[in-house]
Amino acid sequence: MDKKYGVYICTGCGIGDTLDMEDLIDIPDEEGVNCTTHPFLCSKEGVALIQKDIDDGKVNAMVIGACSRRVNFDVFNFEGCIVERTNLREGVVWPHSRETYPKLEEDQKDDEEHFDPVQMKAEDYIKMGMIRVEKVKLPEPYKTESFSRKILVIGGGVTGMSSALDAAKAGYDVTIVEKDEKLGGYAAGLRSQMPVKEPFETLRPPAVNDLIAQVESFSSIDVRTSTEVARIAGQPGEFTVTFKTPGEKIPFDVPFPLPEEMLVDENGKELTAEDAHAKYLEYNEGREDILQLDPDGELYGAVVLAAGWRPDVLEGENYEHLGIDLDDVVSNDEFEKIAAKGKIVRPSDGKEAKNVVFIQSPGSDKDDADFQYTGSVTSQVALKQARYVRDDYQDGKAYIIYQHMRTPGLQEYFYKNMQQEDGIFMTKGSVTEVAQQGNSLGVTAVHTLLGENLSIKADMVVLAGGMIPVTKDDPIINLAYRQGPSFRDNDIFGQYADSNYICFPYETQRTGIYAAGAVRRAMTIEESMEDAAGAALKAIQCIESANRGMAVHPRSGDKTFPDFFFQRCTQCKRCTVECPFGALDDDEKGTPKANPTRCRRCGTCLGACPERIISFADYSIDSIGSQVKAVGVPSEDDYDEPPFRFLALICENDALPALDMVGMNKIDYSPNVRFIPVRCLGSVNTIWIKDALAQGMDGVILIGCKHGDDYQCHFIKGSELAEIRVKKIGDALSSLALEEERVTFKEVAIDEYDKLPEIINEFVDEVEALGPNPFKGF
Amino acid sequence: MTEKYLAQPDLDFIAQVKGLGGETLKKCYQCATCSVACPIAPEDSPFPRKEMIAASWGLKDRLVNSGDIWLCHQCGDCTDLCPRGAAPGDVLSAVRSVAITEYAQPKALAKAVNDPKKLPILLLIPAIWFGILAFITMIGKDTMEKIFHTLFGDILGGRLHWSHAHEGGEHVIAQADFFSTWFVDMTFVPIATAVTVIFFLSLKNFLNDIHENAVREGKTAKAKLDYKEFFQALLRVIPVVLKHDKFNECEANKDRATPHMMVLYAFIGLFFVTAVCGIMLYIGNLPSPYSQLNPIKWIANIAGVSLTIGAGLMIKNRLDKKNEQITLYKDWFILVVVFSLGLTGMLTEMARLAHMTAVSYFFYYLHLIAIFELFAFLPFSKMAHLVYRLTAMAYAEYGNRK
Repeated sequence: MDKKYGVYICTGCGIGDTLDMEDLIDIPDEEGVNCTTHPFLCSKEGVALIQKDIDDGKVNAMVIGACSRRVNFDVFNFEGCIVERTNLREGVVWPHSRETYPKLEEDQKDDEEHFDPVQMKAEDYIKMGMIRVEKVKLPEPYKTESFSRKILVIGGGVTGMSSALDAAKAGYDVTIVEKDEKLGGYAAGLRSQMPVKEPFETLRPPAVNDLIAQVESFSSIDVRTSTEVARIAGQPGEFTVTFKTPGEKIPFDVPFPLPEEMLVDENGKELTAEDAHAKYLEYNEGREDILQLDPDGELYGAVVLAAGWRPDVLEGENYEHLGIDLDDVVSNDEFEKIAAKGKIVRPSDGKEAKNVVFIQSPGSDKDDADFQYTGSVTSQVALKQARYVRDDYQDGKAYIIYQHMRTPGLQEYFYKNMQQEDGIFMTKGSVTEVAQQGNSLGVTAVHTLLGENLSIKADMVVLAGGMIPVTKDDPIINLAYRQGPSFRDNDIFGQYADSNYICFPYETQRTGIYAAGAVRRAMTIEESMEDAAGAALKAIQCIESANRGMAVHPRSGDKTFPDFFFQRCTQCKRCTVECPFGALDDDEKGTPKANPTRCRRCGTCLGACPERIISFADYSIDSIGSQVKAVGVPSEDDYDEPPFRFLALICENDALPALDMVGMNKIDYSPNVRFIPVRCLGSVNTIWIKDALAQGMDGVILIGCKHGDDYQCHFIKGSELAEIRVKKIGDALSSLALEEERVTFKEVAIDEYDKLPEIINEFVDEVEALGPNPFKGF
Repeated sequence: MTEKYLAQPDLDFIAQVKGLGGETLKKCYQCATCSVACPIAPEDSPFPRKEMIAASWGLKDRLVNSGDIWLCHQCGDCTDLCPRGAAPGDVLSAVRSVAITEYAQPKALAKAVNDPKKLPILLLIPAIWFGILAFITMIGKDTMEKIFHTLFGDILGGRLHWSHAHEGGEHVIAQADFFSTWFVDMTFVPIATAVTVIFFLSLKNFLNDIHENAVREGKTAKAKLDYKEFFQALLRVIPVVLKHDKFNECEANKDRATPHMMVLYAFIGLFFVTAVCGIMLYIGNLPSPYSQLNPIKWIANIAGVSLTIGAGLMIKNRLDKKNEQITLYKDWFILVVVFSLGLTGMLTEMARLAHMTAVSYFFYYLHLIAIFELFAFLPFSKMAHLVYRLTAMAYAEYGNRK
């Protein structure tokens, strides 16, 4: 692309009143770049003005000095052009008012004593914008070699079938794989379902048979029962899937990475790359490597993971006091199966079970948490099963002893109705003992609403076992990815297949794999069916983005992808290891293989690469590095007391909107900080920090999302990696006799805009106390 | 407290409480707003939260023998504030009805009194009974005089006569000419005795039960029941009852205290008048009717008016608050009986003063039926609350319930 540059500056919204426009225009002028100002650039006339220049062939790479890029992005959208939005409004004139920073008098200009920090910031921003348009390229979307629009649904239960139906109705071909002999999943074994609408009184017949009939009526849904996924290789748009019958051993079973303890020798020393690879091959003997594509594999565009859950089995000494070994003490799962067969009878002697106690938490100790993997569903199941007792026997009595009774939303009505049923008795309490007493069971509970030690005579006791996501036991998805076949770090989600269900439901840590139903959270049948629709739509979005070389999420529509300059690759594997999404596979030598449609374009690889060989068309070591270098750093040659200069690398996901909010609220902070938005703090390469300090900037602050188990990082690992890297750079700084405090890392949530000025100013004050960067002026 | 309590929910009891106005009992979710709202609940294990869960669990054994259910005056503050739309006041009222039936003997009669289908029979018994006696009085005056003379001869110096009519009082309308005073007393004295015996037996059990319950639930420090101390406590409680101190602590239904007080004082007044009249008749040989100037007549008139107006106001309150407070057969029964009692009494007197003999006799007949309904069924109707509540309040005072 032959770039033709242009700068457009809007003088509206207070920009023209605050800034010295002549001085600002001088900057592009000096570079010989045409600069146009307009009092209302986002108006029809303003946009037409730019469009005319484009149409006349005068410009195709432009800096628009106006408002934040987070607003009017649809207005300043020029096809085929590189557009840099320099934020003069939220970033400069709104937070820094002339009341705080008065304009310089004529005689104060160039007196080497006075300077205008607001004007300086605006000028730096224009310079930074100009260098960026020079350094970036228009992206050319990546095309896969082959492409499939088929959707694979793993799991033939309610969720899987619903998802398949939704996708099929939208016109997509779907394959359902189900490990059992027939469709239906757990729901096929139910007696009844919870009510979902007014009056929330009577239970409903299971919905599963209707779903099976619907699935069978669709020719575009291919059902494969008694089938499992042996491996999923490749990337969204062209996943190569190998199927097998459950239990079978085949060469295309997915290989597992070596467990950590096997990566060291007997003396605890790390194995060499060759040794590790040899060990890996030995460990996975009989299995083909991940890069070996199955020639008989089938091609799919995206995958819906609806593998569901399994009932928890309560065993061990923790539950001994609950009489788990007694015949008439059953789990809610076993009780459902008894109920599905007919009237509720005792397993021990087949006699009518008219008095049933439902226990919702293990009790005994002081801190009586619920059984593992229980929640609102198990609460509602207890209510439903209590209803069975009442439906079966007119004089039936059902007792529910709970610590938590969770009936979210309208299900509260179901709870109310069951509570008002004469023969259902509920109390909060901790069960201390379940014991055989003659022909019946004695249940003892303490801390109940009835005050004292409560004892109940029962025919049967039902324990509320939880719903364990099947991803706890098995990867299920069996991805032929270098990072391993399962979701990484799934333990922080309690082994539910999930990445961040509050912000991005369905999205897993593996692009193109969308989880729905009880595999990602305990759900009722209705919730699962709704969830299934979401996952189906995500799968469709993935296919329809991958086919155009666009990112799916969260940078939807981004056409860039990581580009490797392989000649300089040292095969250090850092990119493969650090990619939060397992997008990179490496071969036996360690050379990375990019799978662009797996990529979310966070740039973590770019941040990781010590050789700096990874770049995106519009985001590279050079594009950001040049912006850093474009910042003017005044020294004692310029002013008697030159202002300090700071660089802030700010995450564009949450921290940047928060900074814009600071501007919108016109809250001041140090005008000596230059902000550069980054895709994710994970994409920050330490070279940028080194460059900044080398050219005399006094400090660098990284501002990003919260990390940890309840992380808010859109790319899961980004801010965590950034913090580690900042710590490491601290060591390097001290070797240069620079204080570690000059580089810092801060977390901010999107709603914490009020804290941001304080965070910035505190950092500025701390560094100013250290004094100026000794390298300044070199 | 560490003792195990075996919960044995009674589905029939739940149905019974629901049928007696406690249909909201299963709505309670134990937030205890009611216990906080209640102006008269004691601080230590306050009601009605614990009663609500016991009721919703059908734990009859923990409720009918609890003194606490009687401490509630059903003022309705709890019902007003309940976030779940339960009506603890009505539930406790229903439980009290069950308790009355539970302690009363004979059970069959107790059930009949609370069964609207049995009302015609319960009305027919006194109607026929008093009809027969009136018939005998009206036409068998001479015969009765003879029988009397034969039976008693000259006992008490020949002062004992069949007729209680005034000397030379042929021109006066006297109810005794329609319905012999002897018959009245022969009917009501045995009834009163029976009622007293029934109450005595019930209360003995009741007092022992509420004591046992209080000890078990830690509501009292007294291990043994001391009757002497209990009676002293009873004496201390009487002024509280007379002043309606507890009733006046209510917010939601403050206006109910006044009519209740009017009725209570009317009954006290009428009790006094009846006693004095008895003495005047049998000892002073001064048969009624008395002059309107006689002080005893003043008291009687004031009490009669107060009873009628008080009961009338209660009925009006119940009708006005149909949506807020449940009023059932058990309530209407006693309200209408008390109101009829006052009204027929006053009408009898007015008709007599207006020289309308037949009308006066007719109202007197109705009046007698009303008295019969009130007294004969006292231990079984809601009216029994007067002894149970008094006992429970005295026990709470004795047991130092705080």
